[in-house]
Amino acid sequence: MEYFLNDHKLHLNPISPLTDSQSMPKAELRKAPKEGFCSHCLLALGSHPTRRTVNGEDHGFCCYGCCLAFQVKHGSREEPEAAWLLIRLGTGGFLAMNIMLFSLLLYSGTFNYADAELIPLIHWILGIFATPVMLILGWPFFHETWDGLLQGRLTSSTLISLGAGAAYAYSVLMLFTGGSHIYFDTATMVLVLFTVGRYLEAAGRAKAVRNIAPMLEAEEQWASVVENGKETPLSVRQVQAGMSVRVRPGERIPVDGTIIEGCSSADERILTGESRPVTKNVDDYVLAGCINLEGSLLIKCNAAGSDTRWGNLCRIVRDTLSQPNSTQRIVDKAAGRFVPAVLGITALTIIYWQTEVALNQALLHGLAVLVVACPCALGLAAPLATALGLGQFLQRGCLVRGAEVQEKLARIQGIAFDKTGTLTEGYTNLVHIECEEDYHEVVLRRTAALEHHSEHPLAHGIISAAKTRKLQLPEAQKVQAVPGSGLLGYIEDDLVIAGRADWLRKLDYEISGYMSERLEQQENSGHTAVCVGWNKKVKGLLFLDDQLLNDAPVMVRELKNLGLKTLLLTGDISSVGQRIAETAGIDEWEATLAPEDKCAVLSTWGKKNGPAAMVGDGLNDGPVLASAGIGIAVGGATDLARETADLVLPQGGIILLPWVIQLSRAVRKTILTNIMWAFGYNAVAITLAVSGFLLPILAAVLMAGSSLLVVLNSLRLEKLSSEV
Amino acid sequence: MSYYLLIFLAGIAGSFHCIGMCGGFACVLGRNPKGYISTLLRHLLYNSGRIVSYAFMGGLAGMAGHKLFSSVQAGNELMSAGHNQMGFTHLAPLLPASLSTGQRILAVFAGLLMLIMAFQLFGYFNRLHRFTTGFGGITFVNSLTSLLNSPKRAAPLAFGVFNGFLPCPLVYAFVAQAAASSNSFSGIMTMIAFGLGTFPAMLLIGGVSQLVQPHWRKLGVRVAGSFILLFGLITLIRGLVPTLGHGIFS
Repeated sequence: MEYFLNDHKLHLNPISPLTDSQSMPKAELRKAPKEGFCSHCLLALGSHPTRRTVNGEDHGFCCYGCCLAFQVKHGSREEPEAAWLLIRLGTGGFLAMNIMLFSLLLYSGTFNYADAELIPLIHWILGIFATPVMLILGWPFFHETWDGLLQGRLTSSTLISLGAGAAYAYSVLMLFTGGSHIYFDTATMVLVLFTVGRYLEAAGRAKAVRNIAPMLEAEEQWASVVENGKETPLSVRQVQAGMSVRVRPGERIPVDGTIIEGCSSADERILTGESRPVTKNVDDYVLAGCINLEGSLLIKCNAAGSDTRWGNLCRIVRDTLSQPNSTQRIVDKAAGRFVPAVLGITALTIIYWQTEVALNQALLHGLAVLVVACPCALGLAAPLATALGLGQFLQRGCLVRGAEVQEKLARIQGIAFDKTGTLTEGYTNLVHIECEEDYHEVVLRRTAALEHHSEHPLAHGIISAAKTRKLQLPEAQKVQAVPGSGLLGYIEDDLVIAGRADWLRKLDYEISGYMSERLEQQENSGHTAVCVGWNKKVKGLLFLDDQLLNDAPVMVRELKNLGLKTLLLTGDISSVGQRIAETAGIDEWEATLAPEDKCAVLSTWGKKNGPAAMVGDGLNDGPVLASAGIGIAVGGATDLARETADLVLPQGGIILLPWVIQLSRAVRKTILTNIMWAFGYNAVAITLAVSGFLLPILAAVLMAGSSLLVVLNSLRLEKLSSEV
Repeated sequence: MSYYLLIFLAGIAGSFHCIGMCGGFACVLGRNPKGYISTLLRHLLYNSGRIVSYAFMGGLAGMAGHKLFSSVQAGNELMSAGHNQMGFTHLAPLLPASLSTGQRILAVFAGLLMLIMAFQLFGYFNRLHRFTTGFGGITFVNSLTSLLNSPKRAAPLAFGVFNGFLPCPLVYAFVAQAAASSNSFSGIMTMIAFGLGTFPAMLLIGGVSQLVQPHWRKLGVRVAGSFILLFGLITLIRGLVPTLGHGIFS
């Protein structure tokens, strides 16, 4: 799994579209790392070098510092906004650190003796340094506060603005009145530390959505359209069906289409969860969003660039991300009430302390309360973990639809399964042919010829059995399907009919006592029978076995280990249901259910056992999936993007179910611990601040620390999911 | 003052290490097409940012040392009184005549830390170095990349400030030294002296980095390591055998 993730990261890096050495910049060639030497400082590596992959190349470094320095020079660039934030932070930090240096000297009494007359001058210098910091770093907070006030809201920025602004204003007042208590260091350091907190938040968010990023950029893609031998870059939104598009190695394929020139392999993980590259040749179908790995391809678009499957998936993911889930809504509401409460506590603190100590000291205590109470970490608690979870699901080809899905998945107590095509392979296995005379081959040939015209799951098993026995299939004519009953058609001048036993009986087909007996016997043992007859007589019985998926028993056992109840719902006869349930290890089963019965059974079961999820193939069990608390469809996100399931697992992905539940539970746990941390941190810190044990600067350090804690706690999810 | 001179010299020797690691940044900052004055201004801004970060760490370390020192010897009133009289004129002597228990513990700790850093410069203990992994490293690095390439005028200053906080055994060693001085002022002075020592090489580097061959730089790093080893040993001895060093360096 580790390999899988690393590999994925690698592909997400911008990959140079040019691979031949001629097109490689000369500087890059010159800097090619030498084995045994640090890629950055070119000194010998030593016994324990640090190794990193930067832009897809392996590098060794003599120390971690060199590793960082190298990545700074050669790594990918972030948005200019991030740079601007850092410039402000750096410049503000420079001034604030200077203020802090002088303040440290003032506090340590360096100027107390011979140089005491310098102190007022130093105060002025501090004031001059502090003013630009208030503008550079304080502006965004003041701006947010003002915007909030205009809308009648108090936000966390209000607390920061009020805290830093009050400390600054008080100090300026003291400067002019010649007072000795100035707090420029507090005002500026609070702003620096909260800006650091903001940066941490931004970085955490950026990291959290990294796995989702390819799912959000479908519409921002460019395609190089080839027309009359000339390539023109066009936004995918302008690409029309029928246009030819050139895709170079390493590029993401921007459109759905058919290859008309070139061969390559494609990384389709983003759409199918398949980690192995898929070979692509001329006339093969390629999907937008996949990465073209080796060769240059010319693709003819099958649909407009804005109507790709990838584009539809992107819309679903974006919708899911943009809705806050219920936990987040509660937290937001709480945070909204929190701010006015903090303002009240601050006022009380100042009033109380003012009777005990000097006013400046009391104000400082009040300031500490304001600063330490800022509920920044709360705002981060849920979205970060949710986005990380979503990214993990997408990486394995699972599509989550709706913000509540992860939360609901974490809370389910039971899982109900549809049988055919979900837990079983469908009727792929012909186990026995029963005939009165030696008609075996004829019966199979004729039935297979009829079933050739059918899409029914049974047909597949019968045809493949005929193929295995290398039978020549006769031509069937005027074939008709009677839904729910069977097929009829003319083969070699006979009217052949294949289907359910009761249908043939209804049509007055004669069935011998022996055959009836066999029919009953086999059905009791859990097999499905197809009756075949011609000339008004049942000639043979074909028994098909609905075989359990190999992975199913392990998967069910793991689900039970997670404390989940299991239920099998099937429209099949009881004996089949029982056999499959017992082999898979499922607790309960209900058979001979019509689709609407399934809904009713599921709802009763849910009432008894707590919230339940329903797993189906998403094709013919739509109603029951929609009625379940959580509908899980198995079968590949590409085909099912338009279906109604809440969670779509990739083809053959039913084995992922225990992981899905574990990940959802981990996400929920992370959100809850985050909230507990953030609230607990605030509660303890406010108590300390109210009792006067906390200096405002220390309070700001604590707050930045709590943001960091929430970010780091959330990022643990990434590690966790690679272990599961 | 001889103490700060020594640290300044250690800074100069250490700048061979800086050329390898941070020199690349200075190269990227490069020349300003508007002329020499603008180029000089860019590099001065970058280096001032760096030195202020060092001084800040030194000040904090000195204060932390002081807190630790005064908490350990809270009972010793005589010492406290003596310490409170250390004013502006007190510039920590290398081996002060008398040391409290707190200062000695601090000196042993700082001395050991410096020895580890020195060995790291010689190529040992590299694993200790990877304390910032994953999140901190990569994200911070990506942001710095954008900063380094930003055309804004204040960018070199901001970059210098952050550069000052990048993990570096030299800086840690001298921060430990600053903490051992157990006084904000001498902590700040220690780091400024070290920072000024690295100043000339870093300022010139835009033009001369190609001239300094890896061989010479390796030698320089060894010299820097030896300096730190020496400092570490002296600090350690100061903590372990307070009377031994009396009179030698003061």
